[in-house]
Amino acid sequence: MKYAYFPGCSIHASAKEYAMAANAVNKYLDVELVEIPDWNCCGAIDAVYAYNRLLSISLSARNLAIAENMKMDIVTLCSACFFTLSRANNMLRENADMKSKIDKAINDAGLKYAGGVKVRHYMDILANDVGIDKIRQQVKVPLKDLKVAPYYGCLIVRPTGIQRFDDAEHPTSIDKVIEALGAEAVYYPDKTRCCGASLAITDEEVMMEMTKGPLLTAKNAQADCIVTPCPMCHFNLDAKQKDIESHFEIDIGLPVLYVTQLIGLAFGIPPKELGLHRNVVSPNRILEKLKATSYVEPKT
Amino acid sequence: MKRNSVHQITDQMTDLLFIEEIKKIPGGERILDCIQCGVCAGSCHARFAMDYSPMQILKMAHLGLRQEVLSSSTIWICASCYTCASRCPRGLNIPAIMSGLKNIAMKNNVPAPIALKPKFHKAFTEIVSKYGRIHEPELQVKLLNKTNLSELFHNASLGVRMFRKGKLTLRPSKLNSKTHFSKIVKNVLREEAQK
Repeated sequence: MKYAYFPGCSIHASAKEYAMAANAVNKYLDVELVEIPDWNCCGAIDAVYAYNRLLSISLSARNLAIAENMKMDIVTLCSACFFTLSRANNMLRENADMKSKIDKAINDAGLKYAGGVKVRHYMDILANDVGIDKIRQQVKVPLKDLKVAPYYGCLIVRPTGIQRFDDAEHPTSIDKVIEALGAEAVYYPDKTRCCGASLAITDEEVMMEMTKGPLLTAKNAQADCIVTPCPMCHFNLDAKQKDIESHFEIDIGLPVLYVTQLIGLAFGIPPKELGLHRNVVSPNRILEKLKATSYVEPKT
Repeated sequence: MKRNSVHQITDQMTDLLFIEEIKKIPGGERILDCIQCGVCAGSCHARFAMDYSPMQILKMAHLGLRQEVLSSSTIWICASCYTCASRCPRGLNIPAIMSGLKNIAMKNNVPAPIALKPKFHKAFTEIVSKYGRIHEPELQVKLLNKTNLSELFHNASLGVRMFRKGKLTLRPSKLNSKTHFSKIVKNVLREEAQK
């Protein structure tokens, strides 16, 4: 299965390990991601969109146009890019006025977009194109006794106009993947709450209040770790966890993994190849637990 | 937590053309369909930090309270999580309306209660227009309050944490060939200037 791959800016910076782990597990799942040549910023959820709507949509349109030439659907690991590209895609189909303005801007630069590309999230590919059974078949180190809190975040399930593959209120695709790996998906109330996203930059205290919720409820549900499919959620849950602990004077210490990293562990891929050394909250506790419970030693 | 309500509305406060301005926002066309049920207010994950709830903002917009809406913290705090939009029984795209209101506020230089917000949007857009991609360290530096020592120290500590983990790239990721890209940006900016 081949897709036009849109990495996005986070994947090239703070979220490299998400893609490292995706590349490692894709080999086992017959998924081939062909990077969109010279892709640019997706257009950003709101940072560019609120400032200059036309610019945001044309940034998306350039990526869509290049992908259309590749004759493949777009797949992205990032929930924010998934939403932004989907929004532009819809707007170009439904808003004739916007379409003609964007056409003018990109045609002059030698690009054309006919509207034929589908924008999909990597979780959708895992759950529907690859399928849970195929993931289960590749498991070499069942994640026995590991309790995992799935954190979906917002943008893969809720907005209108996206390629919907899961329920907006009670999504289950990540739960199913966790169970297929032999782990337990814990039930906790905050799996679709908002982490505060870019408020991390402009209103840190508000973001910390928002991210504190899922961290604490996941911990209360006895989770060993959280998994997420979103680089922005990961940044707030993982890189900012220390700040949240000291701001609220609480102890959390919960490792946060990308969904691809968890899959990789169950496939017996060495932690280094999955970029686990790049996670800010140390995932060593999980690795220890896996060594203690699995019949097969994970390679180190 | 600051919660407000508009107690007295005078003629001077209402701008009957405001609603027309909002109808032009993609997603704002049906703003008059709001039935004030309160689902958005009850669902909002960031309500605790807003002065008015999203429901109040919609009603204030109906009433033409342009200045109160555009200077509210609500429009800037909205994190576009879409919980309200996915639950709204009238199918209103509330985050898109909030985004459009930010745009109107910025275009009219209405001071934002969170001063960093308009700067964030401007700086982000400028960096993306320059490189084609965002470069986080440059964004942070542009937004840094260089006179606040504790803030500087706090940001430096996060920076070190990120750098140690290889999550902070000092050089921006750029496009190989910017010919198409720069032309598109130029075209859009010219189109916007004509308005």
